[in-house]
Amino acid sequence: MKMKITVRAFADYREIIGKEMELLLPAEKTIGGLLADLGDRYPNLRREMFTPAGELKEFINIFINGRNIAFLKNMATPLSDGDIIALFPPVAGG
Amino acid sequence: MTKYNIDRYQRQITLLGEEGQESLRRARVLVAGVGGLGTIVAADLAAAGVGFLRLADNDRVELSNLNRQFLFRPDDIGREKTLAAMERLHLLNPEIQVEGISQTIDNETINELVKDIDLIVDAMDNFATRFILNQAAFSRHLPMIHGAVRGFFGQATTLIPGKTGCLQCFFAGNPLGEIIPVIGATCGVIGSVQASETIKVLTGRGEPLTNRLFFWDGWAGEGTVIDAKRNPRCIICGGG
Repeated sequence: MKMKITVRAFADYREIIGKEMELLLPAEKTIGGLLADLGDRYPNLRREMFTPAGELKEFINIFINGRNIAFLKNMATPLSDGDIIALFPPVAGG
Repeated sequence: MTKYNIDRYQRQITLLGEEGQESLRRARVLVAGVGGLGTIVAADLAAAGVGFLRLADNDRVELSNLNRQFLFRPDDIGREKTLAAMERLHLLNPEIQVEGISQTIDNETINELVKDIDLIVDAMDNFATRFILNQAAFSRHLPMIHGAVRGFFGQATTLIPGKTGCLQCFFAGNPLGEIIPVIGATCGVIGSVQASETIKVLTGRGEPLTNRLFFWDGWAGEGTVIDAKRNPRCIICGGG
């Protein structure tokens, strides 16, 4: 049983992976697993989002269906069929 | 309403009614940050007839501000931003009251800054200060209009205590000390979205940008709106 997941990228990430993609993933995938897969496919995305040690960089915003994963289970948050993921870097200037 | 005001605000009274215009006149708004966003929002709100604007910023005008902060001119360099902005806004609309407070926004000053205020416009340049505004907004049940920019990118959302999540539900913060690139046109887009939201919330018209995040991508020439949901365990707005 595969899940259909939509990934929407914003700002710098959009320039690397495009505006939006749909992926078919195995049912047990977490958001961390999905981002690792994307990092394999797009090394520039990995450099933008992860430290050389493989940790998610500070201040990056990842939403699943409008909720920041910092308040879910972070990178261990499981995905469900139909989830919409948004990836965006900190935008902080005034 | 005077003949002068009926004429002055004619194009928007058509939209908002005299009652809506009166709501703007009675409103007291804190514009937190008088930079790229704050100058746009303050000018928009002053021109629209928002009756009281309190501007808070501790910076002085610098040459590098002038690519985007149109309220200031080269001969303002070195002056307090709030003072220069007050003068310019007064010229734009002598009928409104503008109060400039040249102070850092921190845990000590925030209570005075939000005193007798109906709505906060977040036009800051860092999340540490935004989180101070956020906490003040939610503890006093004040709507807050968030905006932020970087380069050709920008974002905005409207926070209403009791109805939406807060900034700390959505954003982790930002790295300290980074000089953030900004183009004036991006401030124009986001600052104007913030001014629109302010006018909508103050007059009760339209559909505010609540529980949603507007994301502007000037490189792509595209705006996108995504869901932004409250964190039920948030220590600021979740009650737990």
